[in-house]
Amino acid sequence: MGDAPLLEIKGLGKRFPGRLGREPSPWVIQDLSFSVRAGEFLTIIGPSGAGKSTLLNMIAQIDTVSAGEIVFNGETVKSHDARTLRPGFDRRIGYVTQDDNLLPWRTTVENVLFPIEVQGRLNDATRAHADTLIRAVGLAGFERYYPHELSGGMRKRAALIRTLAYDPPVILMDEPFAAVDAQTRTQLQADLLKLWDIGRKTIIFVTHDIAEAIALGDRALVLSRQPTRIAAEHAIPIPRPRNVQDMLAVDGFAVIYQRIRAAIQ
Amino acid sequence: MTELATEARSESPDVSRKAIVLGGRVLLFLLLLLGWELSARRLGSIFFAPPLEVAMRIVSLAQSGKLLEDVAATLRVSALGFAIAGVAGVLLPFLLRRSPRVTAAVEPYIMASMGIPKYALAPWLILWFGIGDLPKLVVVTLVVFYIIFITTFAGIRAVDRRLIDMARIAGAGETRIAREIIWKSLLPFFFTGLKVALPRAVSATIVGEFLVATEGVGHYIEYSRQISDTTGVFAGIVVAVVLVLGVNAVVNTIERRALRWRPVERDMKL
Repeated sequence: MGDAPLLEIKGLGKRFPGRLGREPSPWVIQDLSFSVRAGEFLTIIGPSGAGKSTLLNMIAQIDTVSAGEIVFNGETVKSHDARTLRPGFDRRIGYVTQDDNLLPWRTTVENVLFPIEVQGRLNDATRAHADTLIRAVGLAGFERYYPHELSGGMRKRAALIRTLAYDPPVILMDEPFAAVDAQTRTQLQADLLKLWDIGRKTIIFVTHDIAEAIALGDRALVLSRQPTRIAAEHAIPIPRPRNVQDMLAVDGFAVIYQRIRAAIQ
Repeated sequence: MTELATEARSESPDVSRKAIVLGGRVLLFLLLLLGWELSARRLGSIFFAPPLEVAMRIVSLAQSGKLLEDVAATLRVSALGFAIAGVAGVLLPFLLRRSPRVTAAVEPYIMASMGIPKYALAPWLILWFGIGDLPKLVVVTLVVFYIIFITTFAGIRAVDRRLIDMARIAGAGETRIAREIIWKSLLPFFFTGLKVALPRAVSATIVGEFLVATEGVGHYIEYSRQISDTTGVFAGIVVAVVLVLGVNAVVNTIERRALRWRPVERDMKL
């Protein structure tokens, strides 16, 4: 793990363009800066409506930046104009969105293989890798099911491993487990940590759940209300591998929780 | 897997359901036939050909080979016009998708030209193209084109943007997105358009054949009328109905195969 950041966000700002003859919207995000090291699991906590999705959309390059810049691996991203955006930054940034966005006409395995297929990398090795992931998250036996035949938790898992399967160095996650029940969520978090321990990707994980941010991250950023900035930053020195199920009993969890809670108010 | 369990449970009532639907259909058919027979007796065979005579006429037409000839002629024009209109009606929205400005410029003209009654063009088309298949083909193509165009266009507008973003991030190019995301998303719209357009393609051909033709189902109907052969008119209409039903059955089968991935809507099979 080198110390040079893999991804740098510098003075980032976002306001949406106004309709004809109207002023643009007030700043949704203003002067927001942070950086991520390679292999780091960064969690970002923000209240609802804090522009968390907007932030990730800009990093994924499906939305333009109004101010500031994004530097990826030393390269400044041209992200002010929609025409120069490169969504996913040439497959180097994966994005697990809040909705699973599975293709309804593809089965589980076809969905997981979609990015690989599109990238022209479909072969025995990539198929086998996808198979391993499908088994690792308990989707074995459901390979030939269509999304509407799967439960919400299963769809989340399929969406998660669809991104992991093509192996982008950076993965953005936008509250991927927000819409599932508490039990399933714990399981999904455990699955994610297990997969991360194997692959050690750089992950930026956005959530509104403090406990989730602590359980998963190496470091947690707290966002302010609009216009969104970084309100606080907390290191999470809980050793790995972690057990999500009894996180509450871990030394230091309560202290970190209290500190973050205070930062949000 | 509660959903699967429900599916399995509802399987046995499904069978009796099907029996009821089928029984109802047969009953309705018999009632219709009875009404037809009674009307024929009451109004006389000049205005209302009795069903048995019509059936016998169709059989004799089939035996003489004239039936096949006429059906083939009508299908030839309908299918060709339908194919041209279908390809154009799908391709044009895909091209327009690339440029919102061109779309905005072109839209009022497309809407205005849609308002032209296509059958009213027939005399002018005959003037231009003579009395071969061509004027009929143009009318069929125009009738079908707008239906396919409008439904495809609506389908493209209804595509989930998030799926497109997902595909872009995964590294999909524009062609790939058009083929895999947009085309697949609009398939249900496309099939709706297809089902509306197909009977109209056949109708348009038949109307065209009333005006200019030497063969075809429409020509047979019109010719029978001219010699006051009501049985012939009725036989032609029955053949036309069967033709449309047959074409519809083919589309339904293709649709079921293409949209296998969709949750089954049991009561929405049109």
